[in-house]
Amino acid sequence: MIYFDNAATSFPKPEAVIRAQERAMRECGNPGRGSHRLAMRGAEILYECRSEAALFFGAESPENVVFTWNATAALNMAIKGLVRPGDHILISDLEHNAVLRPVQKLADRGVASYDIFPSFATDPGRTAERICRAAEEKITPRTKLLICTHASNICPAVMPLRELGALCRKHGIKFVADASQSAGHLPISVREMQIDALCLPGHKGLLGPQGSGLLIWGKDVFADTLLEGGSGTRSLDRVMPQESPERYEAGTVATPAIAGLLAGIREVRRQGIAAIAERECRLSERLQAELSRLPGVRVAVPHLKGPVLLLTASGIAPDALANTLNERGVCTRAGYHCAGLAHRTLGTPDGGALRVSFGGNNTAGEVFAFVRILSEILQN
Amino acid sequence: MMPKETNRKTCFCGVPTVTQAMRARELLARAAIRADVIQANSSGQKRGCAYSVSFPCAQEKIARSILREAGIRCQRGSHDLF
Repeated sequence: MIYFDNAATSFPKPEAVIRAQERAMRECGNPGRGSHRLAMRGAEILYECRSEAALFFGAESPENVVFTWNATAALNMAIKGLVRPGDHILISDLEHNAVLRPVQKLADRGVASYDIFPSFATDPGRTAERICRAAEEKITPRTKLLICTHASNICPAVMPLRELGALCRKHGIKFVADASQSAGHLPISVREMQIDALCLPGHKGLLGPQGSGLLIWGKDVFADTLLEGGSGTRSLDRVMPQESPERYEAGTVATPAIAGLLAGIREVRRQGIAAIAERECRLSERLQAELSRLPGVRVAVPHLKGPVLLLTASGIAPDALANTLNERGVCTRAGYHCAGLAHRTLGTPDGGALRVSFGGNNTAGEVFAFVRILSEILQN
Repeated sequence: MMPKETNRKTCFCGVPTVTQAMRARELLARAAIRADVIQANSSGQKRGCAYSVSFPCAQEKIARSILREAGIRCQRGSHDLF
């Protein structure tokens, strides 16, 4: 089998991740609920993971690291926790529905308004300065939040987080970054990029289990809560505690998934972000070069290089192509990838497109095999 | 040299969350101060459950200073180990 759907979730998971998850199920009680041996073992795993994530993403402290069940939950918590009535929000034109839909709902309810700034993804002359200038032109006195994906989930476009962070700081705007496709693929520093809320899944580039996600707050960020409930602390209070991360973690967290995420982050650190990025980029370039020789195959934004490629083939619908590839043992994903806004930005035709996304396990041999299979399908 | 009596006592730093208690323990461990995390006595807490990090009273001054510097605010208290 060839697995080219790493933008959906990484596969296969490292053995260390599987073992850590299983061990947590055997050894852990409910962390932060009591102080018996099993509860404390769970609490230790959580703290280790917070520490590892804080170090990996340049966060102020392990207490800034909040566990969520995926990036969507993290984004909803950050967006709805930071927005106040009457606020204006800016989002990029590459956003996933995990950003667009919460923002749209706030607009529909009359809580906040929003505008979209261009990523210039289709323009070979795109620069960070141009993107920031376009975003700045849309800032109003009511703009309080800017939300931007780091890397698109449908193409290799990367957004300039460092420059956007500086822009937000200059205007006193809170900056929320969606690192769903970049965590574990590209270097990220909450501190250096001046990010107020970094939202990411644990199960993609970080190689952890599904059901794990992180919301990492910047320094001194205090937000409203999306969920209220048991926090294992200050139980006589009728409100959530003020202290992060417990303030944002109502109810029992997914300790086994977090144990797996901890092992995943350690594996990514062992391999090294630079090595991972270089390997994925090499595969992407190789695939683009091979696809350019196949008549009727069009790769979106071919001037950009990265681990996610979007393609269409004349004469066959993307979903039919994905199904046929699946029959030949290749896992890809067709359609709109929960990112209608981004597809409109790229000018994807009706029916969507086929996405090929690489991970650390993929090889050049798989790229050549994929091209051969694709070529045979298109000839038939 | 501390009197033997003080050496055997355990001091506590009460904190609101288990994460803060874990961080306190880590900070103290880096200074070679042996510390443990326990759940604080609920009957002594006006707001319900909380956690404490315990450490030898012989190292109380330095321990509290390390925690204070890291922004961890402790409720004072100590009791005998035995």
